[in-house]
This record gives sequence, C-alpha cells and structure tokens, in this order.
Amino acid sequence: MSQVVKSSNNSLSQSLAVNLPLIKKLILKDWQLFEKQLAGYVLGGILSLCLMGHGKLWSFYLGSLLLIIVIVAVACFAISTSLVNERKEHTLPFVMSLPISPLDFYLAKLVGNLITFGVPMLLLAIATLATIWFTALPDGLIVFAMLIFAHVTLAFCISLSVALAVESEGWNIFAMIASMVMVNPFIMLIGQISAISKPVSTNAIVWSWQALSILSLQAFLSVLILCLTGLYHCRKRAFY
Amino acid sequence: MPNAIKLSGVSKRYSHFALDQIELNLPEGEVMGLVGVNGAGKTTLLRILVGLIYPDAGDVEVLGYSMPKQQAAAKMEIGFASEDMRLYSSMSLRWHLDFVQSIYPGWDESYAQHLLQRFDLKAEQKLLGFSHGQRVKAMLLLILARRPRLLLLDEPTTGLDPVARAEVLEALADVLRDERRSVLFSSHNTHDIEQLCDSISFLHQGRLLATESKDGFLDRWRRILCQGQWPSGAAKLPEIASVRQSGSTLELKAREYSEALLEKLKRLGLQISRVETMSLEDIFIASVRTGVTQ
Repeated sequence: MSQVVKSSNNSLSQSLAVNLPLIKKLILKDWQLFEKQLAGYVLGGILSLCLMGHGKLWSFYLGSLLLIIVIVAVACFAISTSLVNERKEHTLPFVMSLPISPLDFYLAKLVGNLITFGVPMLLLAIATLATIWFTALPDGLIVFAMLIFAHVTLAFCISLSVALAVESEGWNIFAMIASMVMVNPFIMLIGQISAISKPVSTNAIVWSWQALSILSLQAFLSVLILCLTGLYHCRKRAFY
Repeated sequence: MPNAIKLSGVSKRYSHFALDQIELNLPEGEVMGLVGVNGAGKTTLLRILVGLIYPDAGDVEVLGYSMPKQQAAAKMEIGFASEDMRLYSSMSLRWHLDFVQSIYPGWDESYAQHLLQRFDLKAEQKLLGFSHGQRVKAMLLLILARRPRLLLLDEPTTGLDPVARAEVLEALADVLRDERRSVLFSSHNTHDIEQLCDSISFLHQGRLLATESKDGFLDRWRRILCQGQWPSGAAKLPEIASVRQSGSTLELKAREYSEALLEKLKRLGLQISRVETMSLEDIFIASVRTGVTQ
C-alpha cells in the first residue's frame, strides 16, 4: 500500500516538476523570434507619445489613438506569433518534441508572452506617464491612462488564455478582436464615472475608490484567468 | 533484450477514427517499419509514443520511461521527426543548430558538420529559402546530431524528389548501423521500409494486422499461379490469403507457403504452373485486404 502511494507520489512529482533551464531557453527563443518587430512597435509608441506631447489638441487625439492602436497591436502580435502561428505553421510539434512537459510548455509560453507583451507595454506605460508628467498635458490623465493600460492587459490575458486552451484559429482571432475592441466601451464607461473623468482635465492625480476598485478587479481577473488556464492546460490530452 | 518501445492495450478514440488495442514491442537496437495507408493511425501512434497525444487506455513505455508521465526525460533520448513538422522559417539553420545544441548535452558537433556537408545545407541560410527536401534534411540533421537512443520517424521521405529521398535514405541507413539505436519508421512507401527495416508492422484502420521480421514476411508469402478452377464447395485453406480467377489461370496469394500447401492444392485438382516471391508492397496489400474482410 505504501509502495503504491509512493509510486503515485513519484509520478505526481514527475508530472509537476519543471525544467527551468529549458523554460528559460524557450522564452529566449520566442524573444529572439520577435525582438525586431517588438522594437518596431516601441518606436511606433514613442512616435504616438511625441504627438501626444506636442501641445496641440489635434496631435493629442491623434497620438492617443495611435498609442491605443500600438498597445493593442503589441498584445495581439505576441499571442498570434508565439501561439497561433506556432500551430498554424506546424512548429509546435518541433517544440513539443523537445524534452519538456506540458507544464514546462505552459510556463514557457505564459512567461514568454508576458515578457514579449510586458516589456514594450511597460516601456510605453512609463513613457506615457512621463509624457503626461513632463508636458503641458493635465496630470489627472495619469489615472485614466493607467486604467486603459490595465484594460489592455486584461484583454491580453483573456486572449492568451484562449490561445493556450483552444486550437481553433477562428476562436483565437475572435477572442483577440472581441477583448481588444472592448477598450472603446471601456473608455466610454470610465468616462461616465465622474470620480474618474472629472480630474482628467485637472493637474490633480485622484485615485478614487472607483478607480482603485476597477484597477483591482482588472488585476484579479487577469491573474485568475491565467491560473485557470494553467490548470486546464495541464489536463489537455493533445499537444501538436 | 529489453524493449525500446512497449505498448500494451493502447487505444485512442476520435469521432471518426480509433486506434484499437495496440500491442507492440520494439526490442532495443531494432529498426521497425510501420506500414499503413493514409489514415491508418501511424501518425497517431507515433504521437502517442512521443507524448504529443495521450492515449485513452493502455500502457506506453518508451526507453523504460512511462509515457506520457515521464515524457520530459524520455524525450531527452528520443529523436522525433514527422512529415508535418516545421522549423522556424524566419531563422537560419545555424540558429536552430545552436538552439538544439544548447538543450542536448550529447550533441555531436563534428557529426552535425559532417551532415551539413553531406546534405549540402548552408547553415547561415534562413529556413524560408529552403526547399521541402532541404527542410527534411535540416530536421534530420537536428535530430541525428543529438545521437538519440530512439528515432521515431513519421513519413520522413514523403514529398521528397527521388534524389533527395535517396540521400535521406542513405543517411538513415548509415545511422541505423549503430546497433544500440532503435528506430520506428512509418511510411506508406514499402520500398523505403524494405530498404531500412529489420521488422515490419502493418497498421490498418487503427488495428495492428501483423508484426514480423522482414525476412519472415518475405519467406512466408508466395504468389502461386495454377491452371484450373477452385473447386466449388471446397473450403478455403487457412494458408491462402486471396484467390483470383483470371480465365483458366488461378492466382493464389499464400500467407503460409510450404511444400505441404502445394500438395494440398494438387489434391484439389489444380496444376501448379509457377510459384513466385512477393514484394513487401504486395504482401501489405494482401494483408490489408484480408485484414479488412476478416
């Protein structure tokens, strides 16, 4: 009896053991595959920030629109190239034939995507805050901008989860478009909340309970979705 | 001799196809050909062996590792290539070589260089510019230079032109001289299998029809041409796989040829005009047809 328990414990620990050095190599591989394109997106983001900080109303609107397009494009690019295209172009069997377990693969894709999305996103977020802070733009925009960045991050997590869990390219594209397009209604929604929208035109940075609640909910949902996807992925029975 | 592959009661069910109760052993050092028509289940079986698909039932052991639980450790010693597997087209072969080399401690760089020359591949070229034949060779290079204990090759020669196919088969034949290395090679091309393999398994509609040494198959099967008619009402002999009447000539395909069988046929009033050996392709077709009708 004790042997049976020991054997099942061994197999459980084997299936849960992760190969960290190989996970790092897979993350580096994905980074090397996409670094040039990601640099292009960062350049596009910097251009949009230059427009935002130009001091004219038209350039602010054009720049902010371009910035939203760039961060949505970064989110979609990371997922579609590292997961959707990997299936479509049949490079997934090559990766899965390497000495990795499904958990290793999940962690590599999760962390790899968070980096390929997170690094340009973080750079753009910092640059956005700096642009608002150091130019004539009202500082109250910072809370509004942070909420939009958090929404795109949540949309990215939803799209990433669908891409990890569902093989269908159609569903993946739908998840990406649907979650990212929601940025428009989201901006409309937070624009209706006076505690968030009123300080936008002032220099006061107001972290109202409404803003903090939305931000917390976005963070909680992002983490929850990724954890649930991890559980689902480890129960999958086909990886090619 | 220990088994490199041991499958017991392995089943996998899809809505339109099922791999059914597969029992298969591949002794270490042996080269086995897995022959089957498209859709027979060869790819599913190989994917189960490498952990890409989990079986619904049965036990899978590869190089002593229980699959899919211990797949990470097993894949360290497995080289897997399939016809639909692709490399990253935007990166060079050099990048792939460096990537794979960094993962496998047993990487043999001098052998990799030898294969680069032999296959006439340019390491600095991006995969995007490779022909199908070059891609297959690059894939084989990446798995052979790891010096794996077990090679799982899923239709590696499919779609290759005759020259590329000959080059790939020659390289594989060299590799297979290593007596410690086991190979499972799937194909619907029996000529490739006949060139390389020690033993052969026929897979059809998800079922394993037969597994035997190549010589065993070739020794046992015969085409027997007779003059006369198969006697009406005479029971079909168990040694005979198929009977075809063409005018006054009767063509029999025997799955258990022996002198005793010829005597039985003579007693049935048939006049034996010729006994011929059969090609592996003929044996496969006859096995599939009798396997279907049984």
